[in-house]
Formats: sequence, C-alpha cells, structure tokens
Amino acid sequence: MTSTNTNSPNFYYPPGGILMGIIIFLELFTYGVSLIVMVYYGQEEAKVFHESRLRLNITIGTINTMLLITSGFFMATGVAYFKNKNFSKAAFFIKLTILGGFLFLGFKSFEFYEKIEAGLTLGTNTFFTFYWLLTVFHYIHVVVGIIILFSILRGVAKGESNIEDIEASAAFWHMCDLIWLLLFPILYLLF
Amino acid sequence: MKKDNVMTWLFLMVLTIISVLFSTNRAHSIGYVILGLAAIKFIGVAFQFMEFKKAHTIWKTSIYIFLFLFVFVIVILLK
Repeated sequence: MTSTNTNSPNFYYPPGGILMGIIIFLELFTYGVSLIVMVYYGQEEAKVFHESRLRLNITIGTINTMLLITSGFFMATGVAYFKNKNFSKAAFFIKLTILGGFLFLGFKSFEFYEKIEAGLTLGTNTFFTFYWLLTVFHYIHVVVGIIILFSILRGVAKGESNIEDIEASAAFWHMCDLIWLLLFPILYLLF
Repeated sequence: MKKDNVMTWLFLMVLTIISVLFSTNRAHSIGYVILGLAAIKFIGVAFQFMEFKKAHTIWKTSIYIFLFLFVFVIVILLK
C-alpha cells in the first residue's frame, strides 16, 4: 500500500512515516533523559562541570551547529525539489546535505582528537563521561544518516526512489539535527 | 527554493550566534535564556524543515509536550 498524499494530516503518516516517527520520539526521549541526568550531576558537581565545559572547543561546537542546521536546510530544499519532480536539483541538494554531514564529522573528529591528546577521556570525570557517551552516539547517528543519504542519492539518480523513501531519510537526518540542538547548549554553553 | 525555509535557516543561524554570545555571561539567568533559544531552534527545525507543521495534531502536540517537559525539568534542576 502506498500513500499518495504525504501532506495530509494523517496520524499514520508523520514526517517520514509512522515507524520513523516512533524512532524519532524514542531517540529524543533517550537523549532528553540522558541530558536531564547530566544537568542533575552538573548541579551536584558544579565546579567540575564548569571547568570541564571551559575545556571544550566552543568555536568547533558552534561551527558544527551551523553545519547541521545548514545541511538540514539543504535536505528540506532537496525534498521540496523532489516533490516538484525536479530530480536533478533534488540530487544536488542531497549532495550538499552529505557534504555538510562530512564537514560535521571532520570537525567533530578533530575535536575528539584534541580531547584525547589533552588526556580528556571517558574516565576523566563525570562531565567527560557524559560528553563522550552523548557525542560519540550522536556521531554514529550522523554516520548512519550519511549512509542513508548516499543510498537515496543513488535511488534518485536511477529514478528508483519514491517520496516515502526521501521523506523517511530526511526525517532521520533532521533527527540528528534535533538531537544536536539539545546536546550543543547543554554540553558547550550551560555549565 | 522555499522562502520560508531560507528565512528559518537565517533565523536559526542568528539564534545560534546569540546563544553563544550569551554563554560568555556568567549570570545565573543566562542558563534559562540559552535553554529558551535552544527550544525555539528545536521548534524551527521540527516544524519547518522536518515539516511537522503538516503532521497530525497528535504528533505536533507530542513534540511540544516533549520539549516542555525537557525544558521544565532542566529549569527545575537549575534553580
């Protein structure tokens, strides 16, 4: 069964489909609870969290936030072009989205390298335990998102992708963006 | 290119820069401002880019409930 009108306010068709909707809420709930627990510990060990937060590279965090927002914008634009059956422009914007994802991973990898070089690892203190767990899991999500985008890009080029595939892939990519929008202020700015 | 998406993108970029600038201020209330800005950005991405604005009311309400609970619990913890 295929849905022909993906814009109707159908409960069974949130952005990306019902399964993707459930996954997105599960992910948001998991990260949300983790961040709340982190803030709880941040209040218990305020000095440690403040000093540790100052050792993060806010410039890279900010650039990465802008990269993910921009790649999300490119993805939304790509979906709009696909809906208008302009497949070449849709493919172009999906490529730009992938580029944004790779740049994010590049900057994040550099930041990870900086932290390891400085001896700031998972066991350094509570702040860095949360930092590593949350950011590495998010990093993995971005890697998976890029793999999904490559697969739909292939489908778009061959004319095999349909709007459900594109919307589900876009929803996963935007989910990575949403998670980062929660991670960034709490890890880099709050303490 | 959708004009709404372009405007949302610009708005989100400006909010990101503002929240980073605010973070240099160590006043206790700045934490609430940073959380508020993050919540606005979250809504911008979810409703405009992700097109939750076109989803069923239950999904839209769920997003708002999640965000409200997340921000509310953190505000309580920060007090």
